[in-house]
Amino acid sequence: MAKAKAAVRPKLAQEGFWGRFGYFFSRALANLRQNVFVSVVTVGTISLALLIAALFLLVYVNLEGMASSWSDKVQITAYFDREPTPLAVAALKGRVKAIPGTAKVVFVTKQEAETRLRSRLKGQESLLEGITSEVLPASLEIRLDRGHREAAQVTRYVASLKQIAGITEVQYGEEWVQRFNTFMNFFRLVGALLGGFLTIAVLFIVSNTIKLTIYARKDELELLGLVGATRLFIKAPFLIEGVLQGAAGAVISLAALGACYFAFLHNAGNFLGVNPAGAGLTFLPAGHLAGILCGGILLGFIGSLTSLRRFINV
Amino acid sequence: MIQLHNVGMSYQAETPALSDINLKIPKGDFVFLTGQSGAGKSTLLKLLYAGLTPTSGQVLIDGVNLSRLSRAQIPLLRRSIGVVFQDYKLLPNRTVLENVAITLEVLGWGKRDIGKKVYHILKSMGLEDKVNSTPLRLSGGEQQRVALARALVNDPKILVADEPTGNLDEENKEQILAIFKEANIRGTTVVVATHDRRVTVNSHRRVIHLEKGRILEASDGQS
Repeated sequence: MAKAKAAVRPKLAQEGFWGRFGYFFSRALANLRQNVFVSVVTVGTISLALLIAALFLLVYVNLEGMASSWSDKVQITAYFDREPTPLAVAALKGRVKAIPGTAKVVFVTKQEAETRLRSRLKGQESLLEGITSEVLPASLEIRLDRGHREAAQVTRYVASLKQIAGITEVQYGEEWVQRFNTFMNFFRLVGALLGGFLTIAVLFIVSNTIKLTIYARKDELELLGLVGATRLFIKAPFLIEGVLQGAAGAVISLAALGACYFAFLHNAGNFLGVNPAGAGLTFLPAGHLAGILCGGILLGFIGSLTSLRRFINV
Repeated sequence: MIQLHNVGMSYQAETPALSDINLKIPKGDFVFLTGQSGAGKSTLLKLLYAGLTPTSGQVLIDGVNLSRLSRAQIPLLRRSIGVVFQDYKLLPNRTVLENVAITLEVLGWGKRDIGKKVYHILKSMGLEDKVNSTPLRLSGGEQQRVALARALVNDPKILVADEPTGNLDEENKEQILAIFKEANIRGTTVVVATHDRRVTVNSHRRVIHLEKGRILEASDGQS
């Protein structure tokens, strides 16, 4: 087209990106004000949907934390035929610590092993008659860090440990580790499935709510197209509205989640008979909270963007 | 200058909404499009502001073939064309001022200039005391005048109206037609579609009668 002649206009008050953004932002705020009911319904829906997802996440994080703490029981004991000299102990400890995944190494002498046994069998000393420290082997008690407690990792670790000269036997409760890992894998799978369904439900509910609110304003979209608004001009305020609604929904859902959490901490003792504060319950970590906030913003933005596509035909 | 060359438009293959339309509307002309419902008046108007693309033929405005406009160029075209509808298409949640201001906001005008210009045009239409009212508080005639103010506020080259008096009583019809005439005197090309041939009587304007998607006759509007 030989350029359509633009209407004569005075110098613009809001030139440039920030000027236009300022206009779009103020238009978005005005739209929210002028469509209070629809805006409240949208923010309410986003809040509820995100609250349900956040509650699930909170329960999951605490259950996983609790289950993971059981893995502290994973301990490897490496036995020596002959008790190494103190100098050799330091060298052995160094070699063990060099194996990836080692969190803590404690050397237990024959004497200490006997003392422990005696304290465990207190009151049944007759069973220990004739047993001296010479009978019991010296050992290294090794604790692995949390990232290396999977069955396969433990097996690999033990194999490395057996390479060290002087170590004759290694024990680590192989069966328990495998059962624990099976349980954790199942737990994570169920969590991922439930979380996946919940995410799809949240996406579906929020995107459809936004679609309905935009459908309710399709006349406005049509009119803007008729008076010569560009796609950006039509879309930008709606997208900013979506972002603001998503952010507001996320903030409200997090505030409600916090309220639920503290209400549970303070009142659960009355009906559970256990003090939840002492059970090590934690709130969601900052990363998760930021994730929910970003999720809300993204939901609002993408929900608006996909809905606008359907209704703008400029 | 508006030119239509052998224009055809079909929503469904079997029943064309417009067939073989050839039409020239010189700059500054005032034309009535008449015909029964379904004659193709609204379709023809939509072709003028690129609301539809013809299935055959060409629509040219000032020599520009609208079928060749890119998506980004269509808004530029529409800024030079005011459009008015029978159902007004006013935004119920916005005030009269905000409804009219939309046209200038799209052009990027500053708030202060918009306020002045909108107040000026609303005053010329006798709506200065309705500036802060919402459309639903206005009568049909007032709502149509607001819609006209929105269409005319940026002094468009062309004004297109689809049954603008369809919902109005005689007195309001006269007022609206008077506004069209004023706009035309100021140099705007006006195309008004109406099924009510009484509107055209003694108008001394060109009347193009459509029937079943074809131009049946053209007259100068004298009784």
